[in-house]
Amino acid sequence: MMRTDDLIRQLAADVQPVRRLPTPWRLAATWLLFALLVIGAAVIVAGLRHDIAQRIMLPEERVNLATALLTGIAAAIAAFQLALPDRSARWALLPVPFAAAWLSGLGWGCMRDMAEDGSLGLGTSFGCLRFIVGFGVPLTVAMCWMTRHASAIRPGPVAALGGLAAAAVCSVGLSLIHHLDAAAMILLWHGGSIVIVTLVAWAFGPRVMRVAAA
Amino acid sequence: MTAADAAAERDARWATLMAAAQAGDARAYETLLREATPRIRVLCRARIRDAAEVEDAVQDTLLTLHRLRHTYDPSRPFGPWLATIAARRSVDRLRRRSRGAGRESPLDDLPESAAATQPEAEQRLAARDLREAVASLPESQRTALRLAKLEDLSLAEASARSGLSVGALKVATHRALHSLRRRFGVPEEKK
Repeated sequence: MMRTDDLIRQLAADVQPVRRLPTPWRLAATWLLFALLVIGAAVIVAGLRHDIAQRIMLPEERVNLATALLTGIAAAIAAFQLALPDRSARWALLPVPFAAAWLSGLGWGCMRDMAEDGSLGLGTSFGCLRFIVGFGVPLTVAMCWMTRHASAIRPGPVAALGGLAAAAVCSVGLSLIHHLDAAAMILLWHGGSIVIVTLVAWAFGPRVMRVAAA
Repeated sequence: MTAADAAAERDARWATLMAAAQAGDARAYETLLREATPRIRVLCRARIRDAAEVEDAVQDTLLTLHRLRHTYDPSRPFGPWLATIAARRSVDRLRRRSRGAGRESPLDDLPESAAATQPEAEQRLAARDLREAVASLPESQRTALRLAKLEDLSLAEASARSGLSVGALKVATHRALHSLRRRFGVPEEKK
């Protein structure tokens, strides 16, 4: 085995000036801007849903959109914080209250739909899955590339938070395009797609980081 | 001066040295690594008992510190940054060791003929020759051999840990194996 002394000498001889990483706040803002531009472009191309003006006036719709967006923003900030060695692991909990508020808002909506219509209005909506996974995965890859330094520290949780951030932002964009009113449908298809992107990120994100860091 | 004051002073000194190292100051960097190594050893020893494993974890920590040096913000304390890296590398060591232990089988379980093929003294001599041959390799080749072959890491992982590019690792590993084969008169593997 190489002696530790020799290794230190080798590392010191090898040292080059490095550009310090921007703050996690700035990195998060950069990624969020990029994600909002991508999803904004998708919304413009697909066109806003025809009744967006009425939908946006509904308090429950505003709460759903705001909590989903805040979940995405909080997850992105948490991912960039957690990617640094000296930040507390508790950053991972940052998106939890917003995600809980979003889920409880949709749960409340399910009960309201049930009381008003007598059914949850469940059906299939593979378009939601396609949109959130289709845009969520590339945005997650971008996040993994930007947090590649986490590959040596906490790659799994950072990648999972990146997936959550990407999918939550996609969900907000999709809500502006897609005519989907039943809370149970949003919970199932948006929520399910977000869970899928998060799990895929957790499983494969660390590999993306390792390749990007190599 | 209290112990807390001394620790705070040491932390501030290491933060300054690290800032200089980020600017490319090799002397500051070497001083920092030499001063921080005993602290890293203490951190690794808190999780690992075996002395050789501790030293491996110390070296892994130094390699990660080197690779992540751009992530350190000199306006923040150096201690927690270093402690997380040392903790991660120690946990990795323990995990790899427990995985390796699962693949190893005690010698007693082997058929007698396997143990009897080479007398113990001869095996020791061969092991010593091999150790000497590895020690005589240039440092980059030794590092590449240790990470890519002995620790069985993927090229990407070995590259991440050593700070060497995948291409440089491949070349160094190939050269190391070539030198060892030549030294022991083993023919090259046919592709």
